[in-house]
Amino acid sequence: MIEQFAEGALMAFRFDTLMMIAIGLFSGMLVGALPGFTTLMAMAILLPLSFFLDPLVGIPFLLGVYKGGIFGGSIPAILVSMPGTGAAVATSIDGYKLTQKGESRKALDMALFSSVIGDTFSDVFTILMIFPIALLVMQFGPPELFAVLLMSLVIIVATSGSNPLKGLVMMLFGLWLAQIGTDPIGGVERFTFGIFELKSGIPLLPMLIGVFALPELVYAVMRNERASGFAKLVGERLTKAEFKRCIPTIRRSTLIGTAIGIVPGLGQVVAAMMGYSAAKNASSNPETFGDGEVEGVAAAEAANNAVNGPTLVPLLTLGIPGDNVTAILLGAFVAQGLRPGPQLFEEQGTIVFAILVAMVLANLMFIVIGYLSIPFFARIVTIKTGLLVPIVIMFAFAGAYVFRSDTTDVLMLVGFGLFGLLARAAKFDVMPMVMGFILGGPLEYAFGQTVAMAGNNPLGFVLTERFGMVAVLIATPIIGFLLWRRMKTATT
Amino acid sequence: MYLNSLKKTVGAALVATLAFGMPAFAEYPEKPITLVIPFGAGGSHDLNARIITSTIPTHLGQAMIVRLTPGAGGQKGTQEVASAAADGYTLLFAHNYTDMLQQHVENLPYDPMADFVPIARVNYAPIAVVVRGDSDYASFTDLVESAKANPGEIDLAHSGNWGALFVPAAQVMKETGAQFNLVPFQGGGPAMQALLSGDAEVTMGFPSVLGPLIDSGKVRVLATAGPERIYDDVPTFGETGIVGDIGFMHRVVLAPAGTPPEVIEKLEASFTALQEDKSFQRLMSRMGENTDLLLGADYQKLRDEQSDAYKVLVDSITQ
Repeated sequence: MIEQFAEGALMAFRFDTLMMIAIGLFSGMLVGALPGFTTLMAMAILLPLSFFLDPLVGIPFLLGVYKGGIFGGSIPAILVSMPGTGAAVATSIDGYKLTQKGESRKALDMALFSSVIGDTFSDVFTILMIFPIALLVMQFGPPELFAVLLMSLVIIVATSGSNPLKGLVMMLFGLWLAQIGTDPIGGVERFTFGIFELKSGIPLLPMLIGVFALPELVYAVMRNERASGFAKLVGERLTKAEFKRCIPTIRRSTLIGTAIGIVPGLGQVVAAMMGYSAAKNASSNPETFGDGEVEGVAAAEAANNAVNGPTLVPLLTLGIPGDNVTAILLGAFVAQGLRPGPQLFEEQGTIVFAILVAMVLANLMFIVIGYLSIPFFARIVTIKTGLLVPIVIMFAFAGAYVFRSDTTDVLMLVGFGLFGLLARAAKFDVMPMVMGFILGGPLEYAFGQTVAMAGNNPLGFVLTERFGMVAVLIATPIIGFLLWRRMKTATT
Repeated sequence: MYLNSLKKTVGAALVATLAFGMPAFAEYPEKPITLVIPFGAGGSHDLNARIITSTIPTHLGQAMIVRLTPGAGGQKGTQEVASAAADGYTLLFAHNYTDMLQQHVENLPYDPMADFVPIARVNYAPIAVVVRGDSDYASFTDLVESAKANPGEIDLAHSGNWGALFVPAAQVMKETGAQFNLVPFQGGGPAMQALLSGDAEVTMGFPSVLGPLIDSGKVRVLATAGPERIYDDVPTFGETGIVGDIGFMHRVVLAPAGTPPEVIEKLEASFTALQEDKSFQRLMSRMGENTDLLLGADYQKLRDEQSDAYKVLVDSITQ
């Protein structure tokens, strides 16, 4: 095994491999930065290219696209408050505030460093612990997923801000919005009023752009800053001292993200929010969070990137793709004649280690590529308001439309934009709503699965067979209460 | 050299302009064709389509572009193609369960029989009934007998209601009288994971993804769909008395009804040529997929049978 590893590690240092990783990282970053285009789409489109490349070139290339794309998503989130995915929502809370303070470059730097650190750590951890993780993954089924999702929602509300009641109201509203459409288990239509467009539910992207970006645009126009755009300055780069201050946060978020990556079905959104909530709760000045705290960006980005390593484990050890990104990677593997599964490491150990090492190299290369690109991106916000606002509006509408090529989504965008403005006027934070909406679907699905698995006797099933679920469910209100009390004493 | 290519470009542009002026004489396809997939990215249709669209341009003389339009269990994308112009530039890449089964479950905004014509069935995937390697069920008959003796006690993981694993499971239940407890998962991958982790006792899977799990002894196959054996020592549905088009997922390209015959001819010719294409065959076989082509008219017969069979099935479950 160690021999294979050493041999594979050397194989990864190939000029064409490194070259294609760099191309993948850069193009992934560009695609990820465009709202409406997801990393997943970019990978699906570029997949055929990997069919005709050497496995040690094609697969690292796709991994580069993936990693570049995740960071790319945080660029519009930080610069124009336009998170293109749920994973970037937590980043935009403090990231955009930093931009408004004229410190966009610092925010982007922090996002870059914390994502690369989170990702690298989780990749290395995954490579070293792949078989124990594979065993651990098996401990989580739908009942445990349900309990963990529920706990995440409680933590989000408890740490949401000065008024958890308002947060709860918004979250319940988000949970209700998630109900609209075809019930994922029974197939019954809910709250669709017979409108076909509502049958597939409310799309996430128009909601994200609508509630986060559109109100900011309206405010930017109302401020009427003739001379400059969203900010006058791009500010300094991140300093060593600031980075050092964030190290404990990055460490904590990386651990949280890696742990969440092990639970199948949770993913980046939960990781980012949990990392953010934990950092806010641990901070001695939680009131700075949400007001341009660079630690907030670090917390969110380190956590959502740390998910990546462990999500590859079921793919590599069993050949089972846990989500769509890993399904595309599975396609890339098998098209190259590599068959992920229990014997992958025995049969193809060298090349798999080479790919994993290339994955870590991709992270290191990304520090350089990202660091050099950030000044160009950061400059965007200093474009004159008169020019910047129309451009951002165009991207907002195009992004909302292009995701599903559906004009209804443009109406949704406007609707959520208005809702965002109203919510802000009434001092309601939209974040818990968005989280309720994103996590509501998986929560309900996991609940439905638990009921289905329980057959005729739900209570007996849960009590006798699902101790983990019961433990998490009992812990949830206690943790929620403790977090709420700590937030309350810290802010007053 | 440059002048030459410039001449060619100008010439091509002129031809194109003329062609636009005289659609009657224009030869299809004169612009890229959109292949709508009514499912999400990364699924088996997506991967199959990536192979098709990266190899078919040689035979078609035009690019084919994938557009993923997931939503409402495949209805969103299907409806989009149903209402698209019947000019051969918008095609649908679906499977038999969305194509022929959904109409019996709910009211659709389109009529799959009247609004679509099949162009080609690109390939098909037979389902396999799978248990863990250390499972107590030695054979398919064993499993069925046990499910009859303890109705609703054995958990069967599938990939979503009325989906590619649910329907074969329901058909097996109907044919054999066995009663499984059907537990939905979000896709075949999570269903397989549930089997391995012990959350379910049985699941279904396609041989294309089972290989490494079988070789390592993690799972055992108890039966496979169809009349012919896929694994030498595993009986088929046919041998166990389950006959008919049960447990096959057909991946099929459809066009809106009213598409001109010469367009359909050109498409059928391209798909026929594609089946002979070496790199298409190589990529498909690596994915573990066959390249068993059925052209429109032949597949339509299958569609008619599917529709009847699914109606009976749905009625028996929902009533």
